[in-house]
Amino acid sequence: MRELVLSLTAVGGLLAGVPYELAAALVMLLFGALVVFVFVLPVAGITSWVERRVWARIQSRVGPNRVGPQGFLQWLADGLKNLLKEDLIPAAADRPLFALAPYLVVAGFIATFVAIPFGSRLIIADLDIGILYITAVTGLVVVGVLMAGWASNNKWSLLGGIRSAAQIVSYEIPAGLSVFPVVLLTGTLSTQGIIQAQGWQPWRWFLFANPFTFAAFFVFFVAALAEGNRTPFDLPEAESELVAGFCTEYSGMRYLLFFLAEWGNLYVIGALVTTLFLGGWRVPHVTDHVVARTLLEFGVFFLKAYFFVFIAMWVRATLPRVRVDQLTALCWKYLVPIALVNLVGTALWMTLVPAAAHRPVAIAMTLAGAGIVVLFLARVRHHLRHARLQPSDYYLSPII
Amino acid sequence: MSLAGFTVDVVREKGFATEEMTLNMGPQHPSTHGVLRFVVKADGEVMREAIPDVGYLHRSIEKIAEKVGYHGFMPYTDRVDYVAAMPCNQGWAMVCEKLAGIAVPRRGEYCRVIAVELCRIVSHLLAVGSMTMDIGAYTPFTHALREREYINDLLEELCGARLTFNYMRIGGVAWDLPPGFAEKVLAFLDRFEPLIDEYNALISYNKIYVERLAHVAVISAADAIDYNLTGPNLRGSGVKFDVRKDLPYSVYAELDFEVPVGTGEAGTVGDCFDRYMVRIREMRESCRILRQCLAQLPPGPVLAKVPRKFKPPPGDASVRVESARGDMGWYCVSDGSEYPYRVKIRTGSFTATAIIDKVSRGLMIADLVAVIASLDLVAPEIDR
Amino acid sequence: MGYFGNIREAVATIFEGMAVTFSHFVRRPYTVQYPDRIPMRIQDTLPFRYRGILEVDLEICTGCLACERACPIDCIVIDAVKDKQTRQMMLNRFDIDIAKCMYCGLCSEPCPTGAIHHTPEFEGADYSLESMLRRFVREPVPAYKPKKGPETDPRITPLLDRGLRYVDDFAKPGAAGGEAESA
Repeated sequence: MRELVLSLTAVGGLLAGVPYELAAALVMLLFGALVVFVFVLPVAGITSWVERRVWARIQSRVGPNRVGPQGFLQWLADGLKNLLKEDLIPAAADRPLFALAPYLVVAGFIATFVAIPFGSRLIIADLDIGILYITAVTGLVVVGVLMAGWASNNKWSLLGGIRSAAQIVSYEIPAGLSVFPVVLLTGTLSTQGIIQAQGWQPWRWFLFANPFTFAAFFVFFVAALAEGNRTPFDLPEAESELVAGFCTEYSGMRYLLFFLAEWGNLYVIGALVTTLFLGGWRVPHVTDHVVARTLLEFGVFFLKAYFFVFIAMWVRATLPRVRVDQLTALCWKYLVPIALVNLVGTALWMTLVPAAAHRPVAIAMTLAGAGIVVLFLARVRHHLRHARLQPSDYYLSPII
Repeated sequence: MSLAGFTVDVVREKGFATEEMTLNMGPQHPSTHGVLRFVVKADGEVMREAIPDVGYLHRSIEKIAEKVGYHGFMPYTDRVDYVAAMPCNQGWAMVCEKLAGIAVPRRGEYCRVIAVELCRIVSHLLAVGSMTMDIGAYTPFTHALREREYINDLLEELCGARLTFNYMRIGGVAWDLPPGFAEKVLAFLDRFEPLIDEYNALISYNKIYVERLAHVAVISAADAIDYNLTGPNLRGSGVKFDVRKDLPYSVYAELDFEVPVGTGEAGTVGDCFDRYMVRIREMRESCRILRQCLAQLPPGPVLAKVPRKFKPPPGDASVRVESARGDMGWYCVSDGSEYPYRVKIRTGSFTATAIIDKVSRGLMIADLVAVIASLDLVAPEIDR
Repeated sequence: MGYFGNIREAVATIFEGMAVTFSHFVRRPYTVQYPDRIPMRIQDTLPFRYRGILEVDLEICTGCLACERACPIDCIVIDAVKDKQTRQMMLNRFDIDIAKCMYCGLCSEPCPTGAIHHTPEFEGADYSLESMLRRFVREPVPAYKPKKGPETDPRITPLLDRGLRYVDDFAKPGAAGGEAESA
């Protein structure tokens, strides 16, 4: 990034004569716009299509498969339809707040992409406080949701907004506490720094570094799901209780913006988990060609992050919703103590356990993780056999 | 209809003046089972009162009976509870047969029991499916409805319709079992029983689900009897009463089946989880009954001789059948003409609505949804 | 239950539930993609007893008005008068309102020839309310007079056979059971 700006401001470059800071700001702005419009918005839209198809297969249905090949353009059709809808604002609603709320939510989610790495050289701004910045800026979503709930002049929306505020604020704590073990292990808050401290082999990921980071991974994932208002924590938009919660009174594009933020947030969750625990974009050294390596890193990072998006969708299809008091009990009585134990445990690990034992423990943890996957597949096989399916009941292709 | 007389109570607690929030839930709401309205007075999330407002689905079915006659009323009985229509058919047929003293042939009775038990599975699948959807798990609902589609196909072969069957007639049933029906039902049962286990593994014993339902809305046995609850609601509170066992009618006395009762396995006896598990277990018992019926099916006619102009002698008769929602009472007064003088239907959902207010004080709004779903209310039964 | 018991149970049951949902990825969806991606017309897959939209075969209608009397919702309107000169029953009007009809089947049971019967058709949705009233009589036609012996007219015989097969499917009081041989 620095070299790019220097080459642009040098004599004969495109921005010759422009001061360095201004040129850097312009380049960052350009990259930001590129990332948002070429990557973030399409990925959020496509995530809605993927979610509907994944849900449908879990539920023995088909999902959208008419608009475009396999329904791939369904999200474009939904977006277009919502843009064409009448812009309804309830008469007694607080107009400025009502109109502003979706934009705050979207802003809070898009602003995280500044510090999310896509490859070793692909990041808009490698902030020294990367993870802290991301955690802080997602708090803007709370303001937006509260505004939406209040400005709708609807008691159900108000309930949804208040629930959401309580939920997101509570779950910031275990999420933040689970980031700290990783920060302890690397010594930096910068996202690129955290990834560079890991390796491409699974036993060099922080997930398998020691049992405490393994537990921190689960705590972080659960807390991140709660922050993103995903089931089992989707109380604010609990469909069967509050119609649509804080976004009941919204229609058209304003409504879609809330959901765009939710689907896009799934990717942010996946990207954060990959950065912190799964080694990010680290790939084995197969080529020296810069473009090929960058593409490979981008692909690896995207696949890892999207795997967690898939897991979030799968969890949403499986689990019921928790109640508000159970939500706060889960956070304060279970997740926060476990996260604290993880933090202290990692600190003790770093000081007490000799360095020679780190690698064998990591390899043992990797084998344990693989064992859990094998156990899972065994249970899947058990359920398939117990259901006594005929050969015609199997259908493996995703193309319907 | 206006619900007048509601005041807002301003509560003074420790120097804070708080107000109760009055919320309106329904009649169009994703979770009320049919058109049902609740006026909820809540202090934040905790409810102080939940007053049901019924009548949005009233269709004067009991009055229509006086216009269409005994034979013509049979399709209307399907609509009294369209989720489980066969027991309603059976109730009306039985009350007419009791008025006129008609005996149903044994094969007809067996066909009736087969139809009613298939319908019981259908109704319970819908009940547990929509309960899980109300709690937030979207997948078990679709799985339950998928199984329901298999039974709908079976019943479509049997009588031609998937929801409003009009299968029974006064004196028996309208069609005998079609050829190959028994094999198809047995194939379905072989497919269905393992899926109940899968359903339990997916959602019934899920920790989040159990935590949502355990200890919620505990109805004691004394309360259940006082408030006239029936069916799985009553049995979930520990009272072992089933019309099929205790006041046997049709051929239930010849069949061997258990009556599942709530045992408080996850919480207290009589909480929402108990009522849910009673329904799951009743589905298994229905499968058992179906297998026995198909094995014991006697040959013979399925319809007794009943005149086209059905004129029972003057008098009245009442009959109790075990519908999916419990003890359904049918009462008919005849004045000797072709048209009944008065028909009265007593349904389980109507009395279950009364206990919601008592049981939901102190619960959260999210629990109100769980309570309504666990009592298996269907609006057509409440309003008729 | 205990603190660690709660955690253990939560993890175990969620693990099990996720295994069940994951197993559905390899199962065939149950959806029938009607109306364009199905192997054959749905109407051909419906069972014989399916109660779809009503239809009348006027060639075998005797004008006995049994269906009009049996209908609980008065959706059948028939005008049958006996012509004084020819002593022949003439059908002037036979209207069925398929929007009012509740598809109960009570009209096809008492029909002596099976003229009025349910078809497997269910696609009756239309934009106009007038099309819901099916008028089966265009100009007055004579009603059918059942012969004492078997029917000989080759036009009528197939209709009558099919109609009687439909009516025979209904249970007759005192008749032998259908599954008697296999039970």
